Amino acid sequence: MKSFSLITLILSLLAGRSYSQTLISGEITDAVGVGLPGANVYLKGTYDGASSDENGSFQFETDELGTQVLVVSMVGYHEFVKEITCEEKGIHLNVVLKESINELTAVTITAGAIEASDEAKSFIMKPLDIVTTSGAAGNLFGALTKLPGTATVGNDGRLFVRGGDASETNIYIDGLEVANAYGSTAPNVPTRSRFDANLFKGSFFSTGGYSAEYGQALSSALVLNSVDMPLRNQADISLMSVGGTYSQTLIGKQNSISFNGSFMDLKPYQSIISQNYDWQRAPHSWSAELLGRQKYGESGMLKVFAHTESAQFTLNQPVVGEDYKQSIEMNNKYHFGSASFKQSLDENWFVYGGASFSLNTDDVKIDNIPYETKAILAHGKMAAVKDFSDQFSVKNGIEYYYDHFTQQNVNLSLEREYNNDFVDHFIEADYYLSSKFVLRGGLRTSYSSYLNEIWATPRASLAYKSGDKSQFSLAYGAFRQMPKPERIVQADRLENSKAQHLIFNYLLEAEGRTFRIESFYKKYSQLVKFDTLVNQTYYHLNNSGEGYSRGFDLFYRDNKSITGTDFWVTYSFVDSKRKFDQFTTQVTPGYAPRHNVSVVMKHFIKQFKSQIGFSYSWNDGYTYNDKNQSVEMGRKTKDYHNLSLSWSYLPRPNIIIHAECSNVLASENVFGYEFSTKPDESGKYARQPIIQSADRFLFLGIFITLSKDKSANMMNNL
Amino acid sequence: MMRNLLLYTLIFFATQPLLAQSPYEQAMTKALQQFSEAESIDNLQTVANAFERISQKETQEWLPLYYESLTYVIMGFDNSASISERDRYYKQAEELANKAAILETNSEITALKGYVVMGQLSVDPAGRGQSLSSVAINYFQKAIEQNPGNPRALFLMAQMEYGAAQFFGESTENACATLRKAVNQYEKEESNALMPIWGKSRAVNMLNQCK
Repeated sequence: MKSFSLITLILSLLAGRSYSQTLISGEITDAVGVGLPGANVYLKGTYDGASSDENGSFQFETDELGTQVLVVSMVGYHEFVKEITCEEKGIHLNVVLKESINELTAVTITAGAIEASDEAKSFIMKPLDIVTTSGAAGNLFGALTKLPGTATVGNDGRLFVRGGDASETNIYIDGLEVANAYGSTAPNVPTRSRFDANLFKGSFFSTGGYSAEYGQALSSALVLNSVDMPLRNQADISLMSVGGTYSQTLIGKQNSISFNGSFMDLKPYQSIISQNYDWQRAPHSWSAELLGRQKYGESGMLKVFAHTESAQFTLNQPVVGEDYKQSIEMNNKYHFGSASFKQSLDENWFVYGGASFSLNTDDVKIDNIPYETKAILAHGKMAAVKDFSDQFSVKNGIEYYYDHFTQQNVNLSLEREYNNDFVDHFIEADYYLSSKFVLRGGLRTSYSSYLNEIWATPRASLAYKSGDKSQFSLAYGAFRQMPKPERIVQADRLENSKAQHLIFNYLLEAEGRTFRIESFYKKYSQLVKFDTLVNQTYYHLNNSGEGYSRGFDLFYRDNKSITGTDFWVTYSFVDSKRKFDQFTTQVTPGYAPRHNVSVVMKHFIKQFKSQIGFSYSWNDGYTYNDKNQSVEMGRKTKDYHNLSLSWSYLPRPNIIIHAECSNVLASENVFGYEFSTKPDESGKYARQPIIQSADRFLFLGIFITLSKDKSANMMNNL
Repeated sequence: MMRNLLLYTLIFFATQPLLAQSPYEQAMTKALQQFSEAESIDNLQTVANAFERISQKETQEWLPLYYESLTYVIMGFDNSASISERDRYYKQAEELANKAAILETNSEITALKGYVVMGQLSVDPAGRGQSLSSVAINYFQKAIEQNPGNPRALFLMAQMEYGAAQFFGESTENACATLRKAVNQYEKEESNALMPIWGKSRAVNMLNQCK
């Protein structure tokens, strides 16, 4: 009998399992009661469980007894945990899962924002665009001028955003401000980026309404993020029609270092291709860059970046109404250094910060009279982000800026100086009502030692996902910026200029296609005005200027409709008027064309191992002030056209041959007119057009990558 | 008594194969069976769930995490899903592969990590190819260093090489050589309990392109 019961026991253990089983069943739904299929339901620490079916129903049996922990997990939802008591009569449960806010699927604020990153959900711009857009000729800012909200000002080369002056845009590298990011130049000679586009893995370009993290910019912020960790040791050699570059990247297990040296000289090129400008000495420069990265701890990353360069040119510029040319000699030295870090402290805390230093010296000789300007900007920043839940997070940070500017007339030993310390605090909170709806509020509080004032500027934005593929976004912000230092040094005191932005954005995206429309209204006050400007001297500088800028832009990008072709089309309408500088009425500034169109196309032809690039920019002309007319800024130049073509050929994976021609049609673009200071005998002021430095710009380069990884190439450099 | 003993012995032997497998092995065998039969995203989700249940019980085993991750990688290759859905599958796969890597360092996990990156790349080859292809290749190289005989590492590497060769219009000979190595290793591979053995038929199929 004893053995019989033993056998029964064994049998029941091995096969039967019919004793004391509990049937657990139920339904899994989302917040609005729709059944969720594929949810995982199980008892913690056991094998017992099941997946929910297409209606969200589930059932399974368990031998476990007593108190157990039931877990329901599903990607995209918060885990549901409940203690249950297993009993014979069975358990029936209705579980409502709460959606988790996930960065991959949650709505993002898109008003004013153009983000280029591999992770970005919507694509207006991709990291590679910075370097593969035809007409950009390797200039970091070249591609950005073909995006909505920007204007092409061909005689300047800097970023002009939505009717604003170029100085209204601030540029940041890894969160730290870079002063003088554009090369020093003479009036009407277009400048370029000092930094190699290849250094950056992505960018965030805001054309307005941006975060409280950024200040002292009236129109726009451009945030560039350097490459975190290169993957291999490699050497890159570039031989170009205008110079050459050598870079070397070395990697370790937890660190890496890249350095590059380059020299440029346009002299050989200009001796072949005729120029419209009279260069006594063509622009030439050398630069060296170093970028070191060190990983630490589990998530920490420390980056050190240094850039140094020296540039020189001499130009003879005609003086209107006079039969002589003014000689301008520029000697520029520029140094930039930064150290930045970022790390997670735990799951909910993220800290980042660093310090940067920019030093720019321009030694200019105008008709051999030496002037020297020196600008220093030091920036320190510490910020922390705390996620209180997946719905609510707060960013908090402090910043310090030291701004120093001196201007010197060497012969007369006259010196003017401007010093300003800023201390800023910013706080910004994101609140997700659901993964479809987010609100953001921020406040930036600043103190300036020059003004001896404290002020605060609020920022607010929201985004709502109206459908699977569409969303609305709205942004508001108040911004302040100190006037240009060369003006401050000549005034007793100048206040901050002010701007307010209101931006409405609608984004529609299907796979491979993006459509975006954005309208904006910007109001300016306390702009700098003066009575007259004679020989670089401003008379009666004050803050009585004001103005507005309003309009909209359309953007459509498509890489699907035509096989192998990626193209975008953008149209921007800008209605900008301001009372500024010497103007007594509100006028349209010369850098704010009303209608702007860009078309950019890239096509890869496999058989020829080639990428063909095409870009076309058009605007309806630039306003200018005709001294022979009483209306201020009453005239406009003819339309601007620029068609650029490029061709990249990859004979081998590690060699790229790149040829590019901007303004292929040799459109004779005029950016405005200069007028003589004094009228001639007939009482008329003579005029002279501001023209392009050359009709076309041709570029030819060979890029070679040497690495053990045979497929490595310098596509990024084009 | 004798009869009872006989019965006992009979039962013992009859149940022997079952007893030889631990509950962990039984659960894994069953889940792997479902895996091989899965035909739809819904099926695959059920399989991923099954592996998730095993891994939350057997917190020191890397294989359930490995297979759960692999299941999400395969789900991510579903072209009918949206970009953000596919990215979410890969994100899930990535987290699971990282968890597996904490428990164990081996060539299979490294190759899986590369496979996840390959999937992420496939979502937007034009936009991500430049930055991600070298990340994937790095993982496969490392996986091959860890175990030169891992056919999956070789096969995945061959796929990357093949794609790159086609893109640049170069000869696919290198890729095919790697693929042949992979197929050779697959031929030698014997089914070993729960260890990964997937990929052979696809590799053999791909070899047809090399002729």
